[in-house]
Amino acid sequence: MNLEPVARPKSAEPWARTTNRARALQVLGSIIPIAVAAASWLLGGVDLIVAVIFILLPLLLVSIGVVGFILKGKRGAPDAALIVVTIFLGTFVMVLLMSVVWSLIEAGFSALSPHFIYQNNRYVTPTDPLEFGGVGHAIVGTLLVVSLSTLITVPLGVATGVYLTETRSKGRGFVRVIIQAMAGLPSVVAGLFIYSMFIVTGVSQYAGWLGALALVPLMLPTVARVTEESLKLVPQELRNGALGLGASSWKAFFQVTLPAARSGVVTAILLGVSRVVGETAPLLLTVFPIAETNWNVFNGGMATLPTYIYRFVNLGFDTAIARAWGAALVLMILVGILFGLARFVSRPKSLKKKKVKR
Amino acid sequence: MAETSSPAPVRRALRVKPATREDKIFFGVSAAAGYSSLVFIVLILIFLGVQAWPTFVEQGVFEFVFGTGWSSNDVQYSIGPMLWGSVLVAALGVAMAVPMAISIAYFIEFMATPRIARAATLFVDLLAAIPSVIIGLWGLTIFSSVGAEWGEMISNTLGFIPIFSNEAGSFLRTPFIAGVVIAVMIVPIISSVTREIFSQIDGDLIKASIALGGNRESTFRKIILPVSASGITGGVLLGLGRALGETVAIFFVLNLIYDQFNWFAILEPAGGAIASLILSKFGEASPSEVSALLAAGVVLFILTLIINSIAAFIVAKAQPWNNR
Repeated sequence: MNLEPVARPKSAEPWARTTNRARALQVLGSIIPIAVAAASWLLGGVDLIVAVIFILLPLLLVSIGVVGFILKGKRGAPDAALIVVTIFLGTFVMVLLMSVVWSLIEAGFSALSPHFIYQNNRYVTPTDPLEFGGVGHAIVGTLLVVSLSTLITVPLGVATGVYLTETRSKGRGFVRVIIQAMAGLPSVVAGLFIYSMFIVTGVSQYAGWLGALALVPLMLPTVARVTEESLKLVPQELRNGALGLGASSWKAFFQVTLPAARSGVVTAILLGVSRVVGETAPLLLTVFPIAETNWNVFNGGMATLPTYIYRFVNLGFDTAIARAWGAALVLMILVGILFGLARFVSRPKSLKKKKVKR
Repeated sequence: MAETSSPAPVRRALRVKPATREDKIFFGVSAAAGYSSLVFIVLILIFLGVQAWPTFVEQGVFEFVFGTGWSSNDVQYSIGPMLWGSVLVAALGVAMAVPMAISIAYFIEFMATPRIARAATLFVDLLAAIPSVIIGLWGLTIFSSVGAEWGEMISNTLGFIPIFSNEAGSFLRTPFIAGVVIAVMIVPIISSVTREIFSQIDGDLIKASIALGGNRESTFRKIILPVSASGITGGVLLGLGRALGETVAIFFVLNLIYDQFNWFAILEPAGGAIASLILSKFGEASPSEVSALLAAGVVLFILTLIINSIAAFIVAKAQPWNNR
């Protein structure tokens, strides 16, 4: 007997049905408290934050609760409280986060100009207007330090991912825990580590490559974990097929598994880079910031975007802070590009579909 | 005819262990890389420990960790107030961040329409990628004055409770402001972990709850929260680890006081944070002070290591689908 699933009507969610009366009540219940709070803020002269927390929130709780009670009886009131609190808290923190984004855009773009991108800070004092100088040297420094760090971390991180997925070794659970723990390594400790290993012992002076080394333990967990996730998505049949055709394990990995997981591995690298590109503390402890462009990672000081922001904020002049905002926007654009690339690369869903089928 | 004339291929033995040299190298390299993270952690402990040893000996471990005062002239270093300040600010930030993060995750997973949910997920993930130095810059230039105003308001109305009292008259650079900045920093992190956990909850459980007459609230309280509690706890501990290790953002918005504990007065402009202490003293430190700073780093590292190990353990228990 062939049991076909019975076709279900699209609107088979009786709990989701609403009537016009319900909608009208909901709208009324949310508009009245907002109107009262807005009136007390604009006309009554109550402080905005007081109006929101002590007038809007309790009124909303009561009115939506009443609406819920009318519509669904006793079960409606706690529902209403949950919805109000969720939306209220979510909106509250979203306002704060939007404030971060907005000030970044507003203050950042007013500092941004073509020469701000490519000029360096030689001959520029912190009080100079923004017509002169820029963050070119810091962009160069960030790119160099982070690229070197990426070169070291990626083989290590990808191989760790391989260890976690392709082998059946007993130590995997332990390594997984270690990597999770390492993901929370304070960035300042990573900086201190490289400082005590190379600078205190006199092996090297402050230099860009030390900063790159300090970023490695911060980047490694992200790369390893995301690589592991993406290798896990490769169907086991592919590996078994390759092995069954007589390939050795390393050939099966490099010719079958890795190509199948390529986009995931690239995503891992990009996410790792975007994790460390904004790290400040390790670079402050290992790289001496200078005002000129330095292309040599192995010798001399080097400015990077995060340390540039830190230095100029500490100087405290208005123009210095404006420069810091400009550098912050450049840094955020860099992070955004990496993030967008990671999204774009991980877009092909062919692997994920297979996983669902399995 | 060619088929019969050629010799039959040698039958390969079935093996479960790598047989060829290439395979041995392949597995050896990957195992070595796997244990490299362990090597990193051991190296960090060794190098920091060796440099910090003189401080632990001279100051005494207990006195160094729990005592007060930081003076390079008297060669007397203790990080008690800094350690407590780190914990206080992080706890404050986490306490504020958790309800908000859960709200956002709940909204995205269970209330929003798919299109809004996708957009909000993208936005929250992007916010989680904001470098902390930018949050610190925002906290210093934009939020500090607003936060001081909030603090003053709270102190004026609830000042009779010791936690909210303020005797300094200034509400800038308080643990409260640092806590809000930390909360803004870790809300996206906790929220994306929580959302991930929420999205893995078996939909049948929720449908069953609704079918049995449960409403949103009881479903949330009796189904969603218990199922995802350990996952959320893991996410919160990850956020806590991030908060404890935060350096620059706290340095920008908090007044560091070395010689006395600020136990709970979150609106007084006095607080501490180990990571920020390291940053603030590092520039012109004497050799003995550098050793003390490295010792502070060791304490911070061990603290975060413990918290993150617990977090990793809890998350691993909560996500059995991740340990194939």
